[in-house]
Amino acid sequence: MSAIVARDVAKTFRAGWIRRRVIHALRGVTLDVPRGAIFGLLGPNGAGKTTLLSILATLLTPDRGTVTVLGHDVVREATELRHRLNMSTGNASFLWSLRAEEILGFYARLYGLSGRRLRRRIDELIELCELGAYRRVLYNELSTGIKQRLALAKSLVNDPELLFLDEPTLGLDPDVSVRIRRRIATLRRERGMTIVLTTHYMREAEELCDEIAFIKGGLILAGGTAAELKRQFALGDVIVFRLDPPTATWLADVPGVLRYAEADGRVECVVDEADKRLPALLDALHAEGVVVRDVRVSEPELEEVFVELAR
Amino acid sequence: MSWRGERWRAELVAVWAFALRSLLMASRNIFFFFELLFWPVVGVLSIGLLTKFLHLGAPETSFVLIGTIALSTIQVCQLEVSYAVLYDVWSKSMKHQFLAPIGVRHLTTGSWIVGVVRGLLVFVLLAVLARWAFAFDVLAAGVWALFLFLLGCFLTAWIIGVVVCTLIVQFGTRAEASAWATVNLVLVLAGIYYPISVLPRPAAAVASAVPLTYFLDAYRTHYGFAAEFPMAVPTGLGLSLAYLALSHWSLVVAIQRARRNGQLLKMSG
Repeated sequence: MSAIVARDVAKTFRAGWIRRRVIHALRGVTLDVPRGAIFGLLGPNGAGKTTLLSILATLLTPDRGTVTVLGHDVVREATELRHRLNMSTGNASFLWSLRAEEILGFYARLYGLSGRRLRRRIDELIELCELGAYRRVLYNELSTGIKQRLALAKSLVNDPELLFLDEPTLGLDPDVSVRIRRRIATLRRERGMTIVLTTHYMREAEELCDEIAFIKGGLILAGGTAAELKRQFALGDVIVFRLDPPTATWLADVPGVLRYAEADGRVECVVDEADKRLPALLDALHAEGVVVRDVRVSEPELEEVFVELAR
Repeated sequence: MSWRGERWRAELVAVWAFALRSLLMASRNIFFFFELLFWPVVGVLSIGLLTKFLHLGAPETSFVLIGTIALSTIQVCQLEVSYAVLYDVWSKSMKHQFLAPIGVRHLTTGSWIVGVVRGLLVFVLLAVLARWAFAFDVLAAGVWALFLFLLGCFLTAWIIGVVVCTLIVQFGTRAEASAWATVNLVLVLAGIYYPISVLPRPAAAVASAVPLTYFLDAYRTHYGFAAEFPMAVPTGLGLSLAYLALSHWSLVVAIQRARRNGQLLKMSG
């Protein structure tokens, strides 16, 4: 069952009075996000990621198309839907003179929490996001990493079924990013939350996401699991041989080999799946009397798909 | 708790969220001290001393002091309502509250309640000062008349505050100055230091559409001035309620528009 069903969603922004500027942020996006999945939206700056996320989160209304989130229409049933979702953004910002626990308290009250339930919820979130040492610190005295953790805690005040994370690790130190990623994975595992995240970091998407959609120029160019995307773009696994004799051009004709190349005395074969193809390649080399001095297998980076698509 | 009871509780909790936020912000900002004490006191002292210099009689002194006290009371309360949106614009956190299942009624009512409390504080302070320095007694009109006058002031502040919120949502930080300017325009029209009969005819016609005009008129009759309007208080209340509904509707429309044109995101981090 899908948590999000979007069909042909378009959004255009107009700016300027004299020199009218028209920006087509989304040009007909169609998307399905399964319940309980972590879904990644990847794309270069200005691709339309945040616009799409904002429409799904009811912060923007689409110009065209239909969007159903958790069974609710995002335009007609936005208020009902807002009880069940939440959002955290990179570079999040809150009121400068409030303490961390007061910020959580303010947003929790907007979802109707009060009294003991409210206090319990704040305690839980402070523990979950390791904010104990900062609960009485003013927002403008917090570091970027702590602010980001607070933003994540804020996005959980209503225990949402659907969580949107817009660049959740933007500008953070690597160790803080790793902790936030772990927390996101835990949320899905322990609470069965559906999570949609946008990110620039391919490693983050590969590590966290069950499915990924590449968006550019307001269109989804490709989608699927990380492995599917790599296959789709013929970016399969790379097997590097050191052979004696050093060439074996006929390997290009072996089934499953997508590309063959030679460099620095090594032979590089890109195959659809290394596990499946390596034994056959070794058998073929052996049959031709070629001695295999060394063999290395590496998986391609999702970044390569990104580079391919961003061109 | 029944479904209806639970809904009412959630409504009150959301209103309280904004009230508490306003209180916390107010308690931690030095500028609020100036808004609450410095400017209002300076206003009453300078106008009061001017009446002495001009050798105005007790009725004329009370006439202008009523206007001065009303000005400060309304301004403080109105600013608090405007801050409900300004805080989020300044901190770029606008989208977070509109992501929650709240309506504009929660936002404006919560901040208005705090505005009323702050407005009352200013009023009491200025009333004591006016009594001590210029022998003007706000209670001379009677408790009920004073209550209706204050109600008029606070309803006017609510309306202006919501209009300012609408302008800010519509035009962003470009409309920020309206938070401080709008109230002065309304007060000039409402005849804060003079009866509106001295205004040019078109301006007087506009003034008769301002609810505060009627509340000032009704209150001043208790200090010996002839009423300019029959049924001043009911007219003022009727106009206030109509404008309150209209201003809230305009804020709802402005937010819907901001969701359409992306202004809501532009005002967020």
